[in-house]
Amino acid sequence: MNCHEAERLLDAYVDGELGPDDMASIAEHLETCAECRRRLEEREALGRLVRALPYYEVSPDLRTKVAGTRQSLRRSRVAPRMTALAAAAVLVLAVGSIVSFRAWWTTRSTSALADQIARRHVSAMAGQHLVDVPSSDQHTVKPWFQGKLDFSPIVVDLAPAGFPLVGGRLDSIDGRSVAALVYTRRLHVINLFIWPTDAGVTTIDTRTIRGFHERHWVQGGMSIWAVSDVNDDDLNEFVLRFEGK
Amino acid sequence: MSPRSFEEVVLPHLDAAFNYARWLAGNAADAEDVVQDATVRALRFFSSLRGDARPWLLAIVRNTWYARLAQTVRTRPTEYTEMADTPDETLGPEALVIQQQTVDRVRKAVDQLPVDFREVVVLRELEGLSYKEIAAVVGIPIGTVMSRLARARERLLLEIRGTRVATGEAP
Repeated sequence: MNCHEAERLLDAYVDGELGPDDMASIAEHLETCAECRRRLEEREALGRLVRALPYYEVSPDLRTKVAGTRQSLRRSRVAPRMTALAAAAVLVLAVGSIVSFRAWWTTRSTSALADQIARRHVSAMAGQHLVDVPSSDQHTVKPWFQGKLDFSPIVVDLAPAGFPLVGGRLDSIDGRSVAALVYTRRLHVINLFIWPTDAGVTTIDTRTIRGFHERHWVQGGMSIWAVSDVNDDDLNEFVLRFEGK
Repeated sequence: MSPRSFEEVVLPHLDAAFNYARWLAGNAADAEDVVQDATVRALRFFSSLRGDARPWLLAIVRNTWYARLAQTVRTRPTEYTEMADTPDETLGPEALVIQQQTVDRVRKAVDQLPVDFREVVVLRELEGLSYKEIAAVVGIPIGTVMSRLARARERLLLEIRGTRVATGEAP
């Protein structure tokens, strides 16, 4: 190993990130090379100094606030998924208890809806009909829906984040006309279904159905479902970015 | 709901989240805002957590901070808080002063690093993350973690060396 190679691997050596062969090679080189030894010592000294920098801790106020986050969000939470047996038990107990029944019904409705979203995604991909208005410009796609829908969907530009818009189309969910936006992530298609709602849901429903990842959230008075075969992390990032607009 | 609750899994890493946000943002007020936002997002995405919560939470903190950066131009200045004294008892008083000055200089140098460099230094040295974990938090390949860290350290060394020469101290 020469100095040039040693220098390249020196940081990984200091950080203990080298495999045994590389480590042995560098150790051997260091025995005979004063210059590289000096570089090593410099980095070790720097490491000690940097590790002496402040590690900032959360103030008690912030810790309390954060610990209470779930409570404050819970007030408008959609009921968690229940097993069929639990749901049946709730139904039995629900005689005379409308709140429990509604929770059970909402859960069943949401699952059925999620299933339908996945099926519409598959249809759109399989058929010739992915977009009615092919355009990557939000200023073309958004107005296209005027006169075709009784609401104006949220359309955003996420191309800089790596999710270019491909276009939009009319779709139908549960007999209701909805806006469908088509985004892509590399070779994957993300279908976004949007329609107005007055639900006050503040959580993001996350699920995988028929092998597709789905996310559901409410933003700007719209109920939004995203469905794609792109991986979970990318879909999470998509939602974060869309929400950020 | 899930076997591990949100509080059990995420709250132990709250200091890590805040420290990271504090070094990214440069001041406590912005860091607090970021941590609060990030916590809400972490709660929403909790069902998608697989494995180690710490890199997952730090990645959310990072995305939250960058999203805010894109939206607002914050002009809060970088804060230099009083550092807790960690005196080395083997040093005499003069040497202690020099040591403290050096650490202060290093802190300023780190604060002045471009954020891409600063965050890998913080995640490696203060958070003790492996290259693989840093890659997961920042969203870059492991090789890039290594080269970025190397360049960050070069810049810090240059900064520190340069200052020392200017004040006439022995290199």
